[in-house]
Amino acid sequence: MKLNIEGLLVYFPYDYIYPEQYSYMLELKRTLDAKGHGVLEMPSGTGKTISLLSLIVAYQRAYPLEVTKLIYCSRTVPEIEKVVEELRKLMEFFSKETGEKNNFLALALSSRKNLCVHPEVSSLRFGKEVDGKCHSLTASYIRAQRHSNPSLPSCRFYEEFDALGRQVPLPAGVYNLDDLKDYGRRKGWCPYYLARYSILHANIIVYSYHYLLDPKIADLVSKELAKKSVVVFDEAHNIDNVCIDSMSVNITRRTLDRSQANVDTLQNTILKIKETDAAKLKEEYRRLVEGLKEATVARETDIYMSNPVLPDEILQEAVPGSIRTAEHFVGFMKRFLEYLKARLRIHHVVQESAPQFLKDIFEKVCIDRKPLRFCAERLRSLLRTLEITDIADFSAITLISNFATLVSTYSKGFTIIIEPFEDRTPTIANPVLHFSCMDPSIAIKPVFERFQSVIITSGTLSPLDIYPRILDFRPVTTASFTMTLARTCLCPLVVGRGNDQVAMTSKFETREDFAVIRNYGNLLLEMSAIVPDGIVAFFTSYIYMENIVASWYEQGILENVQRNKLIFIETPDAAETSMALEKYQEACENGRGAILLSVARGKVSEGIDFVHHFGRAVIMFGVPYVYTQSRILKARLEYLRDQFQIRENDFLTFDAMRHAAQCVGRAIRGKTDYGLMIFADKRYARADKRGKLPRWIQEHLTDGSLNLTIDETVQLSKHFLRQMAQPFRQEDQLGLSLLTLEQLESEEMLQRIAQIAHQA
Amino acid sequence: MAALSEEVLLVVKRVRQRKQDGTLYLMAERIAWGPEGKDRFTVSHLYADIRCQKISPDGKAKIQLQLVLHTGESTNFHFSNESTALKDRDAAKDLLQQLLPKFKKRANKELEEKNRMLQEDPVLFQLYKDLVVSQVISAEEFWANRLSVNNVDHTLSNNKQEVGISAAFLADIRPQTDGCNGLRYNLTSDIIESVFRTYPAVKQKYAENVPHNLTEKEFWTRFFQSHYFHRDRISTGLQDIFSECAKQDEKGLKSMVIQGVKNPLVDLLSLEDKTLHEGYGSNLMVPSTSTAKTVKENSNSAIIKRFNHHSAMVLAAGSGKKIDAPNDQASETSSTDGNSRDSDVFQPPIKKVRIQEAIEYEDLHMENGRKTVALNLKTGGFSDLVGSLS
Repeated sequence: MKLNIEGLLVYFPYDYIYPEQYSYMLELKRTLDAKGHGVLEMPSGTGKTISLLSLIVAYQRAYPLEVTKLIYCSRTVPEIEKVVEELRKLMEFFSKETGEKNNFLALALSSRKNLCVHPEVSSLRFGKEVDGKCHSLTASYIRAQRHSNPSLPSCRFYEEFDALGRQVPLPAGVYNLDDLKDYGRRKGWCPYYLARYSILHANIIVYSYHYLLDPKIADLVSKELAKKSVVVFDEAHNIDNVCIDSMSVNITRRTLDRSQANVDTLQNTILKIKETDAAKLKEEYRRLVEGLKEATVARETDIYMSNPVLPDEILQEAVPGSIRTAEHFVGFMKRFLEYLKARLRIHHVVQESAPQFLKDIFEKVCIDRKPLRFCAERLRSLLRTLEITDIADFSAITLISNFATLVSTYSKGFTIIIEPFEDRTPTIANPVLHFSCMDPSIAIKPVFERFQSVIITSGTLSPLDIYPRILDFRPVTTASFTMTLARTCLCPLVVGRGNDQVAMTSKFETREDFAVIRNYGNLLLEMSAIVPDGIVAFFTSYIYMENIVASWYEQGILENVQRNKLIFIETPDAAETSMALEKYQEACENGRGAILLSVARGKVSEGIDFVHHFGRAVIMFGVPYVYTQSRILKARLEYLRDQFQIRENDFLTFDAMRHAAQCVGRAIRGKTDYGLMIFADKRYARADKRGKLPRWIQEHLTDGSLNLTIDETVQLSKHFLRQMAQPFRQEDQLGLSLLTLEQLESEEMLQRIAQIAHQA
Repeated sequence: MAALSEEVLLVVKRVRQRKQDGTLYLMAERIAWGPEGKDRFTVSHLYADIRCQKISPDGKAKIQLQLVLHTGESTNFHFSNESTALKDRDAAKDLLQQLLPKFKKRANKELEEKNRMLQEDPVLFQLYKDLVVSQVISAEEFWANRLSVNNVDHTLSNNKQEVGISAAFLADIRPQTDGCNGLRYNLTSDIIESVFRTYPAVKQKYAENVPHNLTEKEFWTRFFQSHYFHRDRISTGLQDIFSECAKQDEKGLKSMVIQGVKNPLVDLLSLEDKTLHEGYGSNLMVPSTSTAKTVKENSNSAIIKRFNHHSAMVLAAGSGKKIDAPNDQASETSSTDGNSRDSDVFQPPIKKVRIQEAIEYEDLHMENGRKTVALNLKTGGFSDLVGSLS
């Protein structure tokens, strides 16, 4: 259908539309008009992605000079591919409606592992290996060596691309990862570099968060993207953690040992080169003196990882004299390593700020702040000069140099924690130095400053006001949308006690309590008897799940559950869990029915949807609070309190509730879907917890569904399931939760739609 | 004489039968005995006709071997060579032990097949009654014509739906105390069947050990006593006949894991577009679990593994799919190194379909000719459906 969103013609590739989609597009357009940022929460399964794409594409067509590019960031590879497929659908619809040939270029970008077509390189298992191997075939100095020695191996796909690929731009169209690979194979061009080159002139790019948020990668990939872009972060409920991760470093004894080996290799290589090709080192020295850091204009293939600090923090001056010659720099690194080793030789926990650390290192080994800041830069230059092929082998020393640069660049927002052992095993020495970012706004700041509109959206962003605070930006629109429903297809229930009236909770003091565990087991058992097909249960942590499963096993509860359904359990091993997941789906598919026991914050809870029969009920055992004894967490909480006036408890509860909401939200993926959401902890009934659930869940949580016993839960669930099993036809939805164009244009409907968006 | 063209596996002299001295011959397909000095057999049984063998208890003076036939008749052989009688008997027994199961299976299979044909085809059954029961022709003659015909439409038998296995079959074997410090397990043939279907390794052990090393009862007693059955504990290094099974199960689980998953949307390994390298990021969420696990934790994770494996096996047994034997080294390796190739060739179609499914909003479309699948219980319709799907 063709929509008129406040004067903008929007092509929407479906016959009907959900009212909230219309409302969402309205808010989105206002955000784009204001050239500002927005925070939008809309339940998953209400067609958020297609609404976003339809509106922004329409906007790009109508105002090609205002918005030149859409940068769509998502979390997982399947998500990225889904977005591109939805885009393809939209573009096909557009061409069909207008008869015009679509002149948009849209493409997905992913790591080399997902795009490489080189027969040997692509068969490597890990992304790191693929990157390293690719680098060893395509780095500019390797290719230069090949001029004198043609027998060296090369990647013909890159050579072909380099020779021809940049002359003709990628023809307009929608390219998913597989399409890029096909195109690359056909042309004999490297799809990865083709994609990286093409994003510069593409109208729409879909890629993962890291390409924008991790400075080490963003600098390489996204540096030249136009200012007039709209950036969308989809599934953004965890964006603060992504930001923090991209700036944090952990150093163990193993890292130091491997760095030591790296330094030795570097030293030997330098000696060798000195004998054979001393001019090369002199040339590098000359360049560094002149401050022409990248004098030769680093080829795109040379750098494997860029500077770990944000662009505006990088010093635009010459490398200081003390680390300019190769030997001096290696000596410098050795000293730094020795210092770190000494720091790890401790018996008690140390926590200090970056300035304290710098002061200490100056006093102990006379290392200045300035040369430290250039470490990452200097190491890269050296690796390039020495023509090191196996960059992956030097990851340890790269990590150390990145740490040096980070610690000397940022005096605020970071903390250094050195732990001599793990809390659980105080007898085993395993020292770790955590250099931890506490302020997510540091990594995302350049994104907000650079691009005219940044949209943060997800199914679970409640409470909405917290994201602008922790990410430190001022949105022009903040809205939460509810799900209009012709039938209430979600049923949130808070189970607070067992039939014996013992309170059910994962609270630390009572979690080992026999009665609590038994009641949790009975809940699972009862539900397994009445819920058809699949049930997914989430625990607060892996260790907790292990303990509960073991005691359920001993009590014979699992045996009885097995009479009703097969049991599959998430393990720390991703491959094993994937297998269990697939079998779980198979069991749901063939009617046998199964239960998946899983962990909040785990991979399953973040990346897997349980649509329709794959998840008819989700049980959240306990409130998934983060492990609060972690010193890193404590430091972060303190920082949040001091800098953003967010109280510890507020943040912890917010964090727990967003994960709980994520978990239970996995089961509902659309209006034809239905599912029970069972919160098995009495603490969910409290206003401070309940109030932090997304609005679309909260509004179905009535007083009658709080603090239930297991029996009451079973009764309510039975009733709900029986209702949902009735046929549900399109006519039931039309006019209520599904609109035709005419219905949409009626005055009354527009008024109702205006109420869907809830401004925070 | 027929014996000349047959392969003779064992010859035992001085074996008495009906008080007559003679020689016992074990051949490829039958066992025969001929009296001394004569060149013909007075006793000859096909292995397929033999139900079981019995031997005289060890301390007895007479060293004998008895063959019980399906018909209920039995034949006794008395090994009378004083010095080697026991050895002779055991040699014969051991050989028979190896031979009989092979023929037993074949015989059973044939019998089952015949039974099934009669049950499924009323016309044939009538014919059988008319001809065989009234002794117009012998059963062999009747089947000689039939079985070859049957092989052609063998596919028919595959249409029959197998009954799945209850996931809790082990739970159903509740031990009862027998009042004097012992436990009683009640086993039904259904349960045994379930155990065999879910745990082929146990079935293999059964075939190897019963009845020659152990009686059926002993076998199951040991099964319930074994660590294999109570596998929540870590193996204490105690060896029993089932410790191998545990290893095989582990291997099986591993090979399942290595095979990977077909649906890219549930493949957690390729979910993340991971660009964070080792050492970066903060492990805020979990206290790291890398180092030394306690015994309890180990046992807990063993239980979890066991549940995953058990469920997968039950599922596989129920859907009639074979989980490939773990000791099949060749297939294992080929699946690992062929992995990426395979995925390159086969994945896109599955992936495309899955992604399309995932982004589809069926209710946003105008309903035109809604696709519904009619429930069709007749086998004919089912095979049509299979045909159109494949």
